[in-house]
Amino acid sequence: MKRFGLLLLNEFKLARTALPVHLVAIFQPMLMYLLMTEVLVFATFDMYVMQPTTGEGRALVAAMREVGSPIGLPYINPILVAQEDMAQLETTAPRQIITVESRDGVPTAVQRFGLIDSNQVKNLRNRLTAAALRLWNEALGDAAVTVEEHPWLPIDVPYTVYFGLAMLPMATFVGAVFIGGILTAQDFEFRTIEEFRLAPIAPIWILAARLVRLVLSAFLSAGAMLLALGWQTGYWPDSLWRVGLILLPVAIVGGSLGMIIGLAYRRSIPSLLTGLIAAIGGWILGGAFGLVAGFGVLYQEISRLTPHAYAIELLFPRYYGTQVGNPLSAILALALFGVSLPALVFLAYRWRVLRQE
Amino acid sequence: MRRFWILLSTEIKALVRDPISVLGGFIAPGILMVAFGLLFGGPLSFHIAVINRDAGPWGAVLRQTAGEVISPFGTPYYEVSGLPEDKAWDAYHAHALDGVWVIPADFSTRLDAGENPTVEMYFDNYNDDRAKNHRIYSTEIMWRFYKKIGRPGPPLVTAEEYPRPEMVHWFPLIAVGLAVLGVSLGGMFNVFLLTYKEHIAKITLEYGMAPRSLAWVLFPKILLALLMALLTGTALLFVVYLLVGAWPGRFLWAVWLLSGLVAVFWASLGLVLGMRIRHYMAGAITGVFGGVIVFFIGGGLAMVRHNWAKVTWLAWFFPNTYAVDPVRDMVLFRSWPADWNATLLILVGFALVSLAGGMVLTARQLRRLG
Repeated sequence: MKRFGLLLLNEFKLARTALPVHLVAIFQPMLMYLLMTEVLVFATFDMYVMQPTTGEGRALVAAMREVGSPIGLPYINPILVAQEDMAQLETTAPRQIITVESRDGVPTAVQRFGLIDSNQVKNLRNRLTAAALRLWNEALGDAAVTVEEHPWLPIDVPYTVYFGLAMLPMATFVGAVFIGGILTAQDFEFRTIEEFRLAPIAPIWILAARLVRLVLSAFLSAGAMLLALGWQTGYWPDSLWRVGLILLPVAIVGGSLGMIIGLAYRRSIPSLLTGLIAAIGGWILGGAFGLVAGFGVLYQEISRLTPHAYAIELLFPRYYGTQVGNPLSAILALALFGVSLPALVFLAYRWRVLRQE
Repeated sequence: MRRFWILLSTEIKALVRDPISVLGGFIAPGILMVAFGLLFGGPLSFHIAVINRDAGPWGAVLRQTAGEVISPFGTPYYEVSGLPEDKAWDAYHAHALDGVWVIPADFSTRLDAGENPTVEMYFDNYNDDRAKNHRIYSTEIMWRFYKKIGRPGPPLVTAEEYPRPEMVHWFPLIAVGLAVLGVSLGGMFNVFLLTYKEHIAKITLEYGMAPRSLAWVLFPKILLALLMALLTGTALLFVVYLLVGAWPGRFLWAVWLLSGLVAVFWASLGLVLGMRIRHYMAGAITGVFGGVIVFFIGGGLAMVRHNWAKVTWLAWFFPNTYAVDPVRDMVLFRSWPADWNATLLILVGFALVSLAGGMVLTARQLRRLG
């Protein structure tokens, strides 16, 4: 045990040889989250409307102001533009302008789109329809159909919460995979591996010491991310130790994968690039933008190959207070990942180091 | 000029010996392209079940309407599942369905009698964006439903006018943003890796002692980085063409020009970093994550010019934010950018400032070493 302690100490000392990598791997996901939350989707859209001159036009603008979530944000911010300012506005290539005009004697809200993509068109069209439908419903009176909303949660939760939650496994993974890959590759580049090979200690202790320090660096990264998420959204997990327990196998998988990559390439640069592929790929394919079940069967099946998807399923109740998926199978899958990857590290170590004695 | 070619061929030989610097610019955008393609490239319909308990005819009409209103994505807003009620609820609770609509037994009776007919809409709101979509999609369905059942017309109808006959979809928009990211990373990685290698191999010491202007050393580096950036960007544009069929065609030269100016900015940055950063890995990770962050904050997922006010201040310090929309104009909308002159001017400014800054800082560093 004393030897293990010394190995662990050595691992921490090794951090000095790659201090910038540690800083980047630990803090970059948090920084990325903080910046990306600034540009994520906003429910409230600015919509230009030419200053209405008719009763229908004024009613439409009033209806636009009412479109929104009863338990969240408004969806439209109508911006009235005077006729004389229209030419000036058009030079700024706005995404759409609404004018209320008479076409064949029928009051018509004409939505003129700029060069925008289908997603923007969809969002703008839907909002205008929602406002126009309010007028239609008012006209229909008791004959109008009321859509009674039964949302799953008592309030609409900001997208930044889910997005941050999904970045927790990513931050954990990044904190381990990069450092694991680079340190292991450096063992070959700096010939430290020769010392490990000759050391009178079972390789399992050498690998375990490295894995422990990688798990710790992964937790530092996850901790920074957790703080950023809480600070940005005001949402905190109900149980920190459970979050730690959920992220533990992700850290083990990230660290193990990093070590396998380092052992496979024995060079820092390819290890870094492969770690990068694993980190970004795992994040996006593992449910970065929404619960995987909502993105179709193919995506869902692919996501099952990443530990991220299972971790997100288990983290979800910690932030939302309600369960998604099948926790038992997620726990089993994470446990399987957490056991099999270290075993693979051992095999890779035997293949790359011990067999070449 | 001979000196220039000798140095350029030396750089090319170094590149051939270490081709991984080429991949550096391709990998991150390539992965993101595949991932976004999986996420947003397919049909984006919401999957719902409509449980029709209505004893009359209108419930069936509403159910049918829910599945037939087409969104601008070219697919229905809702893909209505044929699951039986119990399985539909199970699927909804497992989040395999985005929502469930329940049409009550007295729907037709109340609709005909004008007695406040209702429909219950159960939906996910763990993410306010999806909740918003449920609310506003349902209005499209009700609009069509009223028309189908012959309600008196609305007090105000809607009409749409588009600048182009065909719709540009969301994923191509993202994919072009990724090609611009590829240009940035392709240029930066190339010069960063090669300069770093020269730095640790002490070749930079020889440069530092050169009796001639260091511009002869630095220009080939920038030129090679520029070429590799354009190669990476063009390769990614070709992937975009294969995936979505969009290609700049006669605007290719203009796309190269804008991309080239962006690449010069990043290559100059890579030059400075390559000389100053002692740890390649940290620099490379920072470079890739930095590039990805710039992609996201600088209009990677949506047009910059339509989200001007929401673009974070940091994004304006990078040329990508200015270049991405004009490039999209040419690749996707096949139209000449209205803001071409302004964009060109801004990008030239970025390129010149960064080039001058990069060259001066690097030359000073080299002379200090020499």
